[in-house]
Amino acid sequence: MVGLAVVLQPLTPHPVFPCVLPMRTPLAWFNLTYERRRLLTAIAGVSFAVLLMFMFKGFENALYDSQVQLLKVLNGDIIVVNRLKYTMFIPEQFARRRLYQAQAFEGVEAAYPLYTRDGAYWKNPETKAVRPLRVLAFNPNDPVLNIPEVLAKQEGLKLPWTAIVDEKSRAEVGPRSAGIVTEMAEQQIHVIGTYSMGTDFASANGNVIMSDQNFLRYFSDLGPEETERDLNTVDVGLLKLAPGADANAIAVALRQRLPNDISILTKPEFVAMELNYWRKNTSIGFIFTLLTTMSFVVGIILVYQILYTDVSEHWVEYATLKAIGYSNRYLLTVVMQQSLILAMLGFVPGYLIALVLYDATTNATGLLMNMTLGRALEILIATVSMCLISGAIAVRKVQAADPAEVFGN
Amino acid sequence: MSDALSLSNDSRTVPIEVAPAEMAVQICDLNYYFGQGDLRKQVLYDVNLSLPRGQIVIMTGPSGSGKTTLLTLIGALRTLQEGSLQVLQHELVGMNQRELVEVRRNIGFIFQAHNLFESLTASQNVEMAVELMDDRRAKRQRAIAMLTEVGLAERVDYKPKTLSGGQKQRVAIARALVNQPTLILADEPTAALDKKSGRDVVTLMQNLAKEKNCTILMVTHDNRILDMADRIINLVDGRLETDEEIDHFMDNHNPKNLDRHMFMTL
Repeated sequence: MVGLAVVLQPLTPHPVFPCVLPMRTPLAWFNLTYERRRLLTAIAGVSFAVLLMFMFKGFENALYDSQVQLLKVLNGDIIVVNRLKYTMFIPEQFARRRLYQAQAFEGVEAAYPLYTRDGAYWKNPETKAVRPLRVLAFNPNDPVLNIPEVLAKQEGLKLPWTAIVDEKSRAEVGPRSAGIVTEMAEQQIHVIGTYSMGTDFASANGNVIMSDQNFLRYFSDLGPEETERDLNTVDVGLLKLAPGADANAIAVALRQRLPNDISILTKPEFVAMELNYWRKNTSIGFIFTLLTTMSFVVGIILVYQILYTDVSEHWVEYATLKAIGYSNRYLLTVVMQQSLILAMLGFVPGYLIALVLYDATTNATGLLMNMTLGRALEILIATVSMCLISGAIAVRKVQAADPAEVFGN
Repeated sequence: MSDALSLSNDSRTVPIEVAPAEMAVQICDLNYYFGQGDLRKQVLYDVNLSLPRGQIVIMTGPSGSGKTTLLTLIGALRTLQEGSLQVLQHELVGMNQRELVEVRRNIGFIFQAHNLFESLTASQNVEMAVELMDDRRAKRQRAIAMLTEVGLAERVDYKPKTLSGGQKQRVAIARALVNQPTLILADEPTAALDKKSGRDVVTLMQNLAKEKNCTILMVTHDNRILDMADRIINLVDGRLETDEEIDHFMDNHNPKNLDRHMFMTL
């Protein structure tokens, strides 16, 4: 590995005072940048590879982030679900009695049942097209979700046939502001407001929140082919603990004492279980890792091409340097410096465009595409590695430059 | 005519007896081959040569005679197999790459093509050579001084694209001479220059030789500058055919009767 100390030359400025040493002529920088058009093409290439990596990684993270959006706003320290429900997708309920049993334990202050239904058909008020949404229902007096707009609509939700709609639902759902009247599950519904959450795979088109009484009105009397619901079976149970209580200890105690038909998880464990399902049990992880790796390889090839072209075209000059007395090691550092400069110059535009596209995607799909410092750093490291690898391959060409051949005919 | 090219002892100069340490270049029984195994071709046969410090030597010969090969060997640009080649008191036979690189730093190379970096200015190209000796403090001053000596004071910050062919070659020469090497190896340095520039450049090299006791070995076909040399060597088919002091050479070589083989250009 070429010594990093050699690559990072002391960058002291040109001397104003005699005591300050000027730096070595930055041959790598000049060779890379003196032809504007070629430089722009090179930067465009690297930026594109960077952008690809950002987008693929971004989609993967968006899918994961989106799945747990709802989970993160659940107002509970311990979550109770049917043992079979290892992901929110699975429509298994557990007996509400279990929540009463849990409430009796020390440290548990309150237990809130949350009812969900996937695939509730919502009619678009304008186009009259019907789309499935997910319904979340609970007693409006229970602070089940940590969303201010929901808490604000507590009283409104107690009225019959009312609901509030997630404003991040997809456009096909139609206009969703307060006052809209349309149909859900073939019954009339009044929209009294909106809130902001976001879609995921389980709620593909959007979410709707209503009271548990309204839940019964819509879903308890549906006819022979539909599964009917009542309030004795709960989809997700939330346990609120006393302040300062140890969630892990209480969860352990609950697991020991309560029967085995339910799973008891702390909220972080519940989120982790959901993420784990999407990582392990679907092809998402594999597909996106494959796509990101392919972008990485494309980037290596692009950068290698650029470096190789520089070395080939200036082969005679580099060989002359060798003849003058520069070592192979110096030329290696020139190539590696060029690859690092390309990495930096290509990363910035790629990052900026990625920010724009992340925003656009979030608006278009409702999925949560988020740029964090950690994710940007991850791709930065990948970009730098990509350029260093190309550099290491291109370097072999420079080593082969034979100074003796600069002479002669 | 044939006398001049024969191996008779009269025309061969015997160097004055000096202590070996004074020799810039000392070659004994040098044989050099290209390729390996069955494809091995010998290009230099039993070369014996001694160049004292401060001597200006011109090497001539037809193309393919091995002049350039010999030049590259003396310049520590190739690894050596047989014989003995001492350059500036370093024995090059048996040296590895790293050691050869060290030796090269004390030699000034002047090529037929200028080989400058298009992306650097004239001054920066010369500074590349100065930086080799780790002298970053005064590198710009030294570069400018050298460029001034070759007559390019007004062009120090110009890129090669904006210089004429002759000017580019002068920058290359400045690069070769800026570290004041004790041995200069030149391959057709004046080929791209007009008469005046060519003359200026060789005068410069001549002054350097006299002032700094610097040895110059030049391969050239340019008979305008023959008179600046102390000695002329003729290499034919890999062998040192003649090796004469300049006066002797001039006496024996009426320009009108020159054997055209000697100055065969490509």
